[in-house]
Amino acid sequence: MNPFWSNIFRSRGYEKTLAYFLSTMPMFNKLDKRELGFLENIVHLRNYHSDEVVFNQGDIGSGMYFIRSGQVQIFNQDEHGTEVVQAVLEAGDFFGEVALTASRPRCASARTTEPTVLIGLFRSDVLEAVRRHPVPTAKIMLGLNRIIADRLLQCSLQLETLKRQQTLAKKQQSHE
Amino acid sequence: MNSQGGMTRAQVAVFYLVMTTSIASGIAIYSSASTATALLKTATAGLFLPVLISLIVSFLLDPLVQYVEGKRINRTISIFVVYIFLFLATSLLLLIIGPPNWEGMIQALKADFPRYISHSIKYLNGLLMIAQEHFPFIVNYDIAELISSTSQSFFGLILKETPQSAMRVASLLLLVPLFSFFFLRDSRRIMRSLISLTPNRYFEMVLDIYAHVSWQLAHFIRGRILEALIIGVVVWMGLSLTDIHYAPILGIIAGATNLVPYIGPLIGMIPGLIIAVVDLGTGGQFWWVLCVYFIIGQVILDNFILIPILISRVSNLHPLWVILAIIMGGKLYGVIGMMIGVPIASILNIIIIEIRQYRRTFNPYNRYFSSRGKLL
Repeated sequence: MNPFWSNIFRSRGYEKTLAYFLSTMPMFNKLDKRELGFLENIVHLRNYHSDEVVFNQGDIGSGMYFIRSGQVQIFNQDEHGTEVVQAVLEAGDFFGEVALTASRPRCASARTTEPTVLIGLFRSDVLEAVRRHPVPTAKIMLGLNRIIADRLLQCSLQLETLKRQQTLAKKQQSHE
Repeated sequence: MNSQGGMTRAQVAVFYLVMTTSIASGIAIYSSASTATALLKTATAGLFLPVLISLIVSFLLDPLVQYVEGKRINRTISIFVVYIFLFLATSLLLLIIGPPNWEGMIQALKADFPRYISHSIKYLNGLLMIAQEHFPFIVNYDIAELISSTSQSFFGLILKETPQSAMRVASLLLLVPLFSFFFLRDSRRIMRSLISLTPNRYFEMVLDIYAHVSWQLAHFIRGRILEALIIGVVVWMGLSLTDIHYAPILGIIAGATNLVPYIGPLIGMIPGLIIAVVDLGTGGQFWWVLCVYFIIGQVILDNFILIPILISRVSNLHPLWVILAIIMGGKLYGVIGMMIGVPIASILNIIIIEIRQYRRTFNPYNRYFSSRGKLL
């Protein structure tokens, strides 16, 4: 859109609303304003202190989280009980999406490192929304699906390169 | 001066001071709390029934509202649409069938009631004579007299309460649509804000349990009410085929008592059978009435069709709990309490079962991963 007109028609403070934040997420950027408002009504805003556990490895998960502000550390525990940090996520990232569609145990723990605002999208709300408003929910789920499919594609590409490297390394070993 | 178990005199004095102040403040808090609960009790005295009925109504109407809402209509407007539709449907039904003559029926029942009572007492007396021949000590108990006096006082109570209950029904007609409108519109928001109060660590668990419990509850309540409605209508239709009087009233009694499992249907049968015996004699029509109540109503419809379809077996209560719930409900709220005691007990049962199930399968302290990261 023309920046001039979009500046005139942009409502004040819209950047601060939850709906705007959600529209900046890659999976929700195809939703229109009405659907964003609908999404706003099925997510939960949760405030965390710093150093608070969001979930532990092995918990049965019931949904995913988006980070609105703050920082979240994803970590595993190895067999000696020492923590291995997998990722540090910032505002705009999301995690826990594996547990959204079916109740799976969490494969890593999540903990906040500073005061954090998380947006939770949970399975029970999504299931109810499917019954009540199938069309916008389908769009939301398609967006999520797109992102997860992208990640899967990336994963398999990486796996392929790793495999290729391994076979290369083996060949070199046999040549030597 | 180390008397009293190693405490100095000053310590003992402080100890007694602390004890007396704590006891005094405890009594003060207790008494103020009891007045507060008393205040709360008087303030909410007449509200229990309307709130309960409107909760049930909103549970019943929720699927309809959802259906209308699915047509991309705002929820408030869809509630109004459902209300208007229901209003039109009932008035159309009344126009087509014509309202049953309730007032005339009640007047006739008032006239007929003593006759039914005296007949059943006569019958009971006959039974008693036979019993006395075999068990002579029964003579001491004047059972027939007891029954006649209690039934007379019961009927008198009904007559006396009728104007009062008419007032109450009028207030219900006003309050129930209002309350259930707000329940329908805002229940989701209310429950969301309540759930959001839970601490972060238990939030996911509470949300999941709430979703399960509310789903089960909605099914249970809808199932029970629909079952009672269908049984009532079928009994009404079945009895209308005979010459029996008061078929609509008997249908309502059968439907309402059907809310209480095991015992309710039996009690709901008694008035119909008495009226059938007195008015129609023990001919073919009496057997048809019995057949309607027992075989069609209970065995075929309820046990083979309605209960398997409408109500999951999860919510079945043990008969002992049913009896306890009836007694306790009766103590608290009289006849209405007897009817709603069992459903409320089943609701508590569902909640407990769901929480237990969740704790078993979703136990957060249970490690689903072994230390090597494999699924156990």
